[in-house]
Amino acid sequence: MDYSYYPGCSLKGSASSLDRDVRKIFNLLGHNLLEIPDWNCCGALEYGGKELTNLSRENIRKIEDGPCEIIAPCPACYKNLKDANKDFNFKTNFTVLHPLELFDKELLASLKVKHDLKGMLFTPYYGCVLLRPEETAIKNKYIMEEIITFFSGEIDGEKVRDKCCGASRLFASKMVTEKLSKLLLEQSKGIIVVFCPMCHMAMKMFSKKRKVIYLTDLLLYVMGEKKFL
Amino acid sequence: MQQTDYIIELAGHKKEDLSVCLGCRICASVCTVNDLEINANPQELLMNLFLGLNVDKDDPLVRFCTNCYRCTSACPWQIRIPDIVRGLRENLSTGSVFEHAIIESINIWGRMYEPYVFLRASLFVLKDGWARHMFRMMEYVINIVRSIHVPHKVKRI
Ligand code: SF4
Ligand code: SF4
Repeated sequence: MDYSYYPGCSLKGSASSLDRDVRKIFNLLGHNLLEIPDWNCCGALEYGGKELTNLSRENIRKIEDGPCEIIAPCPACYKNLKDANKDFNFKTNFTVLHPLELFDKELLASLKVKHDLKGMLFTPYYGCVLLRPEETAIKNKYIMEEIITFFSGEIDGEKVRDKCCGASRLFASKMVTEKLSKLLLEQSKGIIVVFCPMCHMAMKMFSKKRKVIYLTDLLLYVMGEKKFL
Repeated sequence: MQQTDYIIELAGHKKEDLSVCLGCRICASVCTVNDLEINANPQELLMNLFLGLNVDKDDPLVRFCTNCYRCTSACPWQIRIPDIVRGLRENLSTGSVFEHAIIESINIWGRMYEPYVFLRASLFVLKDGWARHMFRMMEYVINIVRSIHVPHKVKRI
């Protein structure tokens, strides 16, 4: 199936490994990601209100004849696109999807498993934007837990899964991010699994020896495309 | 000078929307800023805005709100307080050098061009004690270097 693809700024730079791995997984699943031509930054969390939805509205407009299902892996881009899609009447009906929303039991069962996750402990960490506010949240709020347990991994971190790591203040007030991330790290065990490039950066920065990985790393490991986690 | 209506509009609200606030303070009870052991009360901020009172740069939420939307999801009216805080920050020009660099980059190229942002904010980064995190930042620096490209000039909206 063909999808329109909105990588966003981080996936073109500091999170380029996430971009590469998302593309790889979609490829392995037999899907095509067609990058939206000449997309603009969605404004992330820096721009205020109106301008923010205007930026994403224009990005959706640029799709024109492309597929009307839009994949956005970065949670901030996903939220902004979803807000814009809700606020404006486009000629075509678009759907904004996060890669996590593609996964269900059936899809997981169809994957060729090379390594399982037996004996490994994980804290799936969603952060804020994938789960809140409700109108833009992902459909299944336990999908990462379901993926991990499907491949026999163990789960910890129920207390922290939806708490805030403060990543949005990382470059404005580092003390905030440091304190919040350390709290989450103290209250959880095992490998931290994230999908958000900002959460990845915040957690990694203050995690000392704890491993912080993207869910895409875990999936590619399970599928045998990566040798280590 | 604070422009209450402008700030509320930026957040996609109307002033009347804030009048539904019940004063229940559920937002305050879940606010992430409390985890920093700093007292924050989103309800008070909304009330001050509604009454047209000034909220200044030192307000704990203007300084520390993390845009986590915990308040919104707990609020019976789903009031988007972090959007209002973002409008306030813009109005009070509280952005850090880094945030200004991001906005500048978007204004020039239509996208955040990270090499520019990091160069522009390098002094700030060094001053803010980032040097000791450099080792852990290497993964991101390598990602930037690997994907280095000339800035992609996108027509500014
Ligand atoms: S979004 Fe801001 S005001 Fe709301 S709970 Fe989070 S830190 Fe507090
Ligand atoms: S939770 Fe909502 S209704 Fe209650 S005080 Fe906070 S903003 Fe007002």
